[in-house]
Formats: sequence, structure tokens, C-alpha cells
Amino acid sequence: MKLFKSSLIALALTSCASFAHAESIAITNATVHTVTEQGILTNATVVIDNGVITAINPKSINTDSTIDAMGKILTPGLIGSMNTLGLVEVSAVSRTRDAGDKKADITFDASTAFNPKSAAVAYSRKGGITTNIVTPRGGEKMFKGQAFIADLSGEYDSIVETNTAVIVDIGAKSKGSRALTIQNLRNKLEDRQKALAKAEKKQAEVKDDKKKEVKEPKRDEKVLNALLAGEKPLIAYADRATDLLALIKLKQDFKLDLVIVNAGDAISVAGQLASAKVPVIISTVDNLPSFDALHQSLESAAKLINSGVTVAFKVNGDTHNLYQLRFDAGLAIANGVSKEQALAAVTANVADAFNYDAGRIAVGKKADLVLWSADPFELSTHVEKMWIDGVEHSTESRHDSLRNRYTTESDMPRAYTK
Amino acid sequence: MQKFIPSLLVAAITVSLSACMQSEKQDKKVVINKNPYPSTYQVLPSQTVLIKNATVLTGTGERIDNADVLMSNGKIEQVGQGLTANNAVEVDGSGKWITPGVIDVHSHLGVYPSPSAESHSDGNEATQPNTSEVWAEHSIWPQDPGFQAARAGGVTTLQILPGSANLFGGRGVTLRNVPSHTMQGMKFPEAPYGLKMACGENPKRVYGGRKISPSTRMGNMAGYRMAWSEATEYKRAWDKYETDYAAGKNPEAPSRDIELDTLKGVLDGEILIHNHCYKAEEMAMMIDLGKEFNYHSGTFHHAIEGYKIADKLAENGNCAAMWPDWWGFKMEAYDMVQENVAIVDSKPNSCAVVHSDSGTTIQRLNQEAGKVMYRANENGFDIKPEQAITWITLNSAKSLGLADKTGSLETGKNADVVLWNQNPFSVYAKAEQVFVDGSKVYDRFDEKYQAKSDFMLGQK
Repeated sequence: MKLFKSSLIALALTSCASFAHAESIAITNATVHTVTEQGILTNATVVIDNGVITAINPKSINTDSTIDAMGKILTPGLIGSMNTLGLVEVSAVSRTRDAGDKKADITFDASTAFNPKSAAVAYSRKGGITTNIVTPRGGEKMFKGQAFIADLSGEYDSIVETNTAVIVDIGAKSKGSRALTIQNLRNKLEDRQKALAKAEKKQAEVKDDKKKEVKEPKRDEKVLNALLAGEKPLIAYADRATDLLALIKLKQDFKLDLVIVNAGDAISVAGQLASAKVPVIISTVDNLPSFDALHQSLESAAKLINSGVTVAFKVNGDTHNLYQLRFDAGLAIANGVSKEQALAAVTANVADAFNYDAGRIAVGKKADLVLWSADPFELSTHVEKMWIDGVEHSTESRHDSLRNRYTTESDMPRAYTK
Repeated sequence: MQKFIPSLLVAAITVSLSACMQSEKQDKKVVINKNPYPSTYQVLPSQTVLIKNATVLTGTGERIDNADVLMSNGKIEQVGQGLTANNAVEVDGSGKWITPGVIDVHSHLGVYPSPSAESHSDGNEATQPNTSEVWAEHSIWPQDPGFQAARAGGVTTLQILPGSANLFGGRGVTLRNVPSHTMQGMKFPEAPYGLKMACGENPKRVYGGRKISPSTRMGNMAGYRMAWSEATEYKRAWDKYETDYAAGKNPEAPSRDIELDTLKGVLDGEILIHNHCYKAEEMAMMIDLGKEFNYHSGTFHHAIEGYKIADKLAENGNCAAMWPDWWGFKMEAYDMVQENVAIVDSKPNSCAVVHSDSGTTIQRLNQEAGKVMYRANENGFDIKPEQAITWITLNSAKSLGLADKTGSLETGKNADVVLWNQNPFSVYAKAEQVFVDGSKVYDRFDEKYQAKSDFMLGQK
């Protein structure tokens, strides 16, 4: 077992502990993929201080430490979305599941259940994911609750933002008709809009000095108000072209900030999505037909982008495989998406869809960064270093401990190898 | 057990009667047709093909640079440098890679097809814990568009298994990945049948939920042992019938039992075990179970904890079919390591296989294997592409009992070949041409070789 000894030592040397405080760091000689109009900067220096990017290519460097990137690629941290990271440890173990509840409604906020110590959080860092937009599964109602944003530091202060967006599920149903969902959604928005107009009118009619205490809207009404004010994105799961068109109509009628997820048949209505400025969050691997998505293919992402649709990528299926987001982006590249567009689809475009200011490398932005051993999308590469809020984090997880235990020679039972 | 006793009695009576009538005229011998749904697969039209100047991974652990592959009459004729052939279609392989056709030992295409529909959900006969009598081939919808997608990913052979709800899920069938409107038209000629077994959480959850056995892992083990013990008696009865008949006696044949036919097939060494089994302690017991009842425990599928018993698997000649990175969906999938396949592979005489169990990842088994290779190499291994390719070719063929026919680019073997646009272990790799028995069944740049299922035809 000589094979493993050197690797163990190497691991011990490279495994980097999380630092308690965000020191100032200059990352020099990096190939920086900014995901901004600046494009790719070569031989560049990025300075981070107190969790924020404070300078790019400064005249002089005066930081606590300097890291020579040796020409390697530095990207914004990747951003996951549309999964239940931190809300599920083992999918089939009910007492480790907090993503849904039969009674969950539009106000459902699962962020208090987020577990930063979940093995899936540390594991996902292996994929260069620094931030995740967690979306609850909800319950029996059309609205599945609200998304929240968490970083992947693994610390108890991981929650970045709560009540970020409203999740709604449109489309094919095992029981009943999809028509009723769209109808209910429209009715809810219309009723709230009328109620708001009525309240406003009533308010205007009373004289200033007699202005009554306005009746405070209920919690769920407040959420609908935020949707109608365009302050909160409506994230809608839908696939069939007719559903996408119905959603576009809703967006136009109620001035919603609409994002469509899955969008299996989006290529059939790509022009409409582009002109209505509706971004889509899709999985690049989905190419098998369903009756709602007969035309999705591995080229869907490229076709949508070429039609002017803003596209973000999510991992399909189980949350535990969030780490492979970069490989899914690589698959999109293999099927016609440019590397720049693919990187945006797993950084800035995800952030933008949720009105979150992240996913780009620019002065003043959050210092969520990943330094890659080479091409970030290749199977052969790995995360060399990553920073979340300017703090360096390790990519080690219990999976590494298990591997080390079973690849280390010992005369004693494995349980003694720790 | 109950259903078997009468036939034993009958056999016993027959034997004792016939013993005193040695010269009795023999009835027609009862022979069970072991292949009642035979393959009608026909090799598609083919020509002699010579692919020149590619990087060739033979599937036997060898890599040959700037090499040529010559296929004729459905077979690999030669692999080497500077080959020539008369009347061959020449394909320029410069900058490209050639591997054996990809083999997936664990697929549910056709039995859980796309589009997902109740009407086509035919993969789990979850009505009793032992359904050795069902055959996955009887559920296959050959129009599943997933077959075409898998072909575009270089898959030339695949085993379709029943699901894992039951202790004994039924027989699996191995298919050629060629388009056909019948199952028989896809069936791999002379491939042995597989028997799907399942350990762990699934059977005990499915039946425990109905308050019938098994509801625990010990219930699982009891279920297997009772079935094998019954099958042993069934086999004994048939063996005795055979011996007596051969000895000129006129024995009465035991009554036929379709369920026990399959288990007897395993005990006779004709049907291979394919055992959904994640955990080290369960695989270790399944190995002993095979020894207890005199059959080989075969291939462990999913084998998340294969790395914990890699020595044992190799010593006992078990293949382990694994994912590179799926985990966390069940308790038995919690202890995943990304180097699992590599650790299992590192033992002498091992048989590590990468499988899909998915209509999606079956399209990229090359990259699934690549993930393992790169993660392992970051952690002390030194695995080369020529070794990693065996996980989805020759080792898979071994698992299916087909290593003499496919899985490697050796002279005389079936010409199942994939031409890749580059190193197949890159995220950017794509199959450009795919050959089954020397016939081109897929060409990325020629629509003529892109099959379409009936289901997709004319859809708007």
C-alpha cells in the first residue's frame, strides 16, 4: 500500500483549515474569468479584504498574504439552485428531511431548518459551489414556499437571505387539470391586485387628518403584494410550451418578475421567452422526452442562448449531486454553448434570476472565488482553493475520511484508523 | 415450499413403482425449452471498415497510438498500425479515439421508458417478495427513445433488469442496442440470462410497509434461504428424473414451476446472479449464501461499499458494478467514496464495472468512468485511460457472461466499436460513429444513421 502513503501526506499538507477571520489576500498571476464585460483578464491580481473584492490589478499590493495562482483560472464561486441542500441529509430517512410539509403554503420559509453541517454541504464544495439557492418542496398547495440563499461555509451563519423568491408548480398533474393551477394563480394575483387598488382608493378618499390605521395585510397577502410589486421573483416549474406561454401572459398582465424552471419545451417558444425577458433555469442533461417536453435535447441550452434567452443551469435529480454542476455546464459546452456563457449560467445568471448581487468578479462584489487546477468544466480538474466571503475553505468531506480509512494499511480493524 | 411437496410425492411413488418394472416402455421425455422467446436479431447491413490513425483503447488494458481497426464480416479482423484492406470503407481517425462498444450491465430502458407513464411502468412486479418467475424481456417497450440516446453515447450492449422491490426480482435480459420493433429483434443471441436479486432497504421497505415478510434484513436473508432451499429440492427432483430416464426407467417428471425454473437455472450455472446490494456486510453475507446453496453470487450492483470489501470481492470472483458518485438518497448509499471503483479495481483478479441504472447517465458512461479515474489519481492512484475503459467494456462483458463475444477489440470478437471525437474521458467527448457487429448503427454527422423511435415520429 505504498501507493497511498504519499497521497496521505500530501492531503495533510494541502488540507486547509477555515480561518476564523477574513484576512486580506492578493491572488496574483491569475487568469480571471470575471463574468462581466471585462471578460477574461490574464496575469491579473484580485485583492480581497473583509469578505469583499477590493481591487483588481492594483498598482501596489499591501495585503496580509499573497497567493500566486501561477496562471490558473479564477472564477466566481459557482451558485447552485433549485435543490434542497442542507434540508435533507439522507433522502429516505424521514427525520433528516425538512424540505417539505403537507401544510406548507406561500409563506413557508425553511431556512431555519438549514443544516450547515450536512455532509452534502462540504461535499458540494468539491464542485466549487460557494452559494446555493435552496428551494423547499412545499406541500399540497400550488405555492411551494419561498427560496432562501445560503453560503457553503459550513458555519452556523450560512444563511445569507431569506424569503428570496416564491416557488410555484405549474404543468402536468397526476390528478386533476393543469388548467386549474394556472386559473388559481391568475385569480389569486387578480384578487390581490383588486384588493390593493381598493385599499389605495379608500386611503385616498379619507382626509389626511382622519387617516385610519390601515389594516395590515395578512402574511400571505404581503407575499402576493411583493410579487405584484415585482420585488420578489416568481419561480415557476413548467415544461410544456402552452404553460410557458400562459406564464408569459401572467408576467405581462401583472408585471411579475418571472423565472421559469425546467422549461423542457422552451425551444418551441424561445422567441417569446426572449422578448418577454423571462430567464430559464434548466438542467443540461435532460434530453429524454416527456409528454410536456417532447423536444428537449442536449442542444437545448445552446439553442435558447442563441435565441436570446437568459439561461441558468441547475443539476437535475438528487441534491447530493449538486457538486457536478460544473460537469453539466461542460456538457452544455460540448453541445454548443460557449465557455463564457456556460460559466455565466452557473454564476451570474443564477444570481440575477434571484436578484442576488453575486456571481461576478468585480470591485465591491462578494469575495466568493474559486481557483481551479485547470479548465473548470473538465472531469480531470479540481478546486485548488476556494473562498467564501473572503475566507478560505477546504473541499474535504467525510467521503475523504472514509477513503483514507480504507486505503490505509493496518493490522488492526479499520475502526482504529481515524 | 408447500406447492412443491405433492410433486415430490408423485416422483417418489413413480420411482418406487418403476423400480420393479425395469423393462417398461418409456414415455416421451419431458424437456423444458430454455429459450422460448429466442432472439431474432439480424446484423444490420455492413461493409468492411478500416478506421485509420486513431488512439485505440483495446479494452484489454492496452493502448495503441496511431493505430488502425479493421472490421469485416461483423468481427474485429485486426488492430494495429499501418493496416490495409481491399474494398474497405476507410475512416480517418486522426485525433480521434477508438474503444470497444460501451456495455451497461444495469439499465431499465424499455421497462421504465420515456415518456414516464403509468401505462409503461413495467419494471417492478412488486406483488410478492419472490418473483423469480417474471422476465424483464416480457416488459420491454422497444420504442423507448432512451435506446437511441444511449446509442448516441456509444452503448452497444445493455442488460435490462427488473427493479429492486423484491428479494428475487426476476430475470434480466441482455440486448444489442439496435433499433427493433420487437424485443426479440434486440435480444443478444446466446447471452445468458441474469437473475435480479435485491438486498437491503428496498425489499424490506416495500413488504414491511404491507406488514408481510420481509420487514427486516434478517427477513431478507430468510426469504432468500427458503427460496434456495426449495429450489435445491426442485433441482434434485429434476436431476433424478434425468438420471432415471437416462437409466432406461420411466419416471414421472416433476411438475413444472416457472418460478423455480429460474432459481434452478442459477443452481445449474446457466443463469447469472445480478444482485442489487449496497453494503459491505450484506455483500459478505450474499457471498456466503451462494456458498451455502452452491451457486456463485455473481455481480453486486450499486455496491456503494465495495471498497470496504474489495479483497473479498476479488478473492471470490465477484464483479461489482458501481456509480462514480451517487449517494445520500438512502442510508445504504451514505458511505459513498468517489474512488470506490478504483479501490475495487486495484485488487488482483478484480472485476470493477461502472454502470448507469439511469436513462441519463447511460448516455455518458465514458465520463462516469472518467470521473472515477481522475478523482482516484488525485488521491494516490495512477490509473490510465486504457485501464479505466475496461470498467465499461471488458469487465462489463465478464459480468454478463459475454467476455468471449464482446467487450474488447480482439481479433475474432464481435466488432462492437465506438469512434470518439477525442479522449472519451473528457467532458467534451462525444461518440461520432458506433458499430454493432461491424454495422454502423449511429453516425453523429449523418442523419441516415440516427434512428428515431415510433413514439417520436411526427410529434409536433
